[in-house]
Amino acid sequence: MKKETLSDALLRAFLLGEIDHEERERIEGLFLTDSQERERILIAEQDLIDEYLEDGLTPEDKQRFIALYAQTTEQRRKLGITKSIKDWAIREAGLPQPTSTKVSLWTRLRARPWLKPVVVIPIAVAAMVAIVIAIVWVNSRERNRRHLAIEQELVQLNTPASLRESFAGKDSADLTPGAHRGAEQQTEIKKSGGIRELRLLWVQQERYPSYEAEIKRVGHDESLTSPKLQGENDRGYRVRLRLPVHLLDPGQYQIRLSGINADGSSGLVEEYLFTLSE
Amino acid sequence: MARDKAIPPESFEELLAWFNPDRELAAAMYVQLRNDLTRIFIWRGCLDPEGMTDDVFDRVARKVATVRPTYEGDPRRYFHAVANKLILESLKKLKMHVSLDDVELSPQQITENATQAEAIASEECLQSCLQKLDNDKRQLIKAYYAKQKQAKIDHRSKLADDLGIKLPALRVRLFRIRESLEQCIERCLKNKAHNR
Repeated sequence: MKKETLSDALLRAFLLGEIDHEERERIEGLFLTDSQERERILIAEQDLIDEYLEDGLTPEDKQRFIALYAQTTEQRRKLGITKSIKDWAIREAGLPQPTSTKVSLWTRLRARPWLKPVVVIPIAVAAMVAIVIAIVWVNSRERNRRHLAIEQELVQLNTPASLRESFAGKDSADLTPGAHRGAEQQTEIKKSGGIRELRLLWVQQERYPSYEAEIKRVGHDESLTSPKLQGENDRGYRVRLRLPVHLLDPGQYQIRLSGINADGSSGLVEEYLFTLSE
Repeated sequence: MARDKAIPPESFEELLAWFNPDRELAAAMYVQLRNDLTRIFIWRGCLDPEGMTDDVFDRVARKVATVRPTYEGDPRRYFHAVANKLILESLKKLKMHVSLDDVELSPQQITENATQAEAIASEECLQSCLQKLDNDKRQLIKAYYAKQKQAKIDHRSKLADDLGIKLPALRVRLFRIRESLEQCIERCLKNKAHNR
């Protein structure tokens, strides 16, 4: 491929980990051996960092950025250095600065002598009530956010490209449909394993262009869905599903695997059970 | 470099010789390759980029005597291949998810200094390194970041016009100044931490 295909858009996708393995290796190779391309990549990285520091990334890109560039204390310290340079430049150029609201609000409150207890106490009571309501609301929102994040992780782990990447054999488990084995044989999976690959045996004669897995903790309403899974012949016809078990709560789980026809309609269904333990 | 005691000391010399017969150039390539591999590990989401870079150099050092005589091409490609192998081996060490709390934090909060002492040190180092910069470079950084978000695009084009250069050239120029400034601040902070 020619050099000029390293567009800004491609480099940005590369820096956010959004390109396939082959392309990523090619760009990394250029980064190591071609000084001009190396500089271009580093400049694109600089632009991305600037965009993040200006809070200009979409929530998805922000999540990817933090995962890659702001996960460790050392990375955050380096980002802090870059930010201090930008802040200095903005300050010098006379632009308004983001201020620390925590400190200034407190300082302002303390500076007001007319805030006597008779006024402050009813306000505090009202504030407490508001806080309780807010906590309930935040908890529910937190649950939703967590669920969404786990589902995103699940989908990412099970894209065809991700599934092509090799996976240590010891982290996989074979599951057979519930109707084909006794309850005493139910598979137990440890949370400490991180990502687990489940190999779901499809015992039906019918084959489908794709499959959809719905994962549900027994006794709970919420479920996670992983669409567009593929079947493959490997010691029987199986569908591989990678699960971020470290993000799931312990308990008994049911997987409903549906065959999906070319027109999108659902076909036959198999069910699998496993127990997730600490 | 001598992290692994099983690696013979002469391997390091052989590594340098593999990079370039000129020892000074070879040393510069060595340093850059270390930084670049660390960066690649970061891009791949590895949890311990520096440690993995050490690992790559250890592995190559162990084999350099046998690989070098028959290997054709840029030795950095060989290092890259070893790094790829290492990433595959340590798949479980990859970052699998981002803390939900982190996504909610603003860049301001993410980059906040842990202590007041660190904040003071950071500010002192910034000022000291800015003083070491030529005035025109200081002015260029100031001008480059004078506008943010949408407004910066037109502003930077105009800045490039004023300087009589194209926008990509301006980005390169700014990148180099900022990189040297960041390195200066890094060194300054390390010195301060060492003297504490």
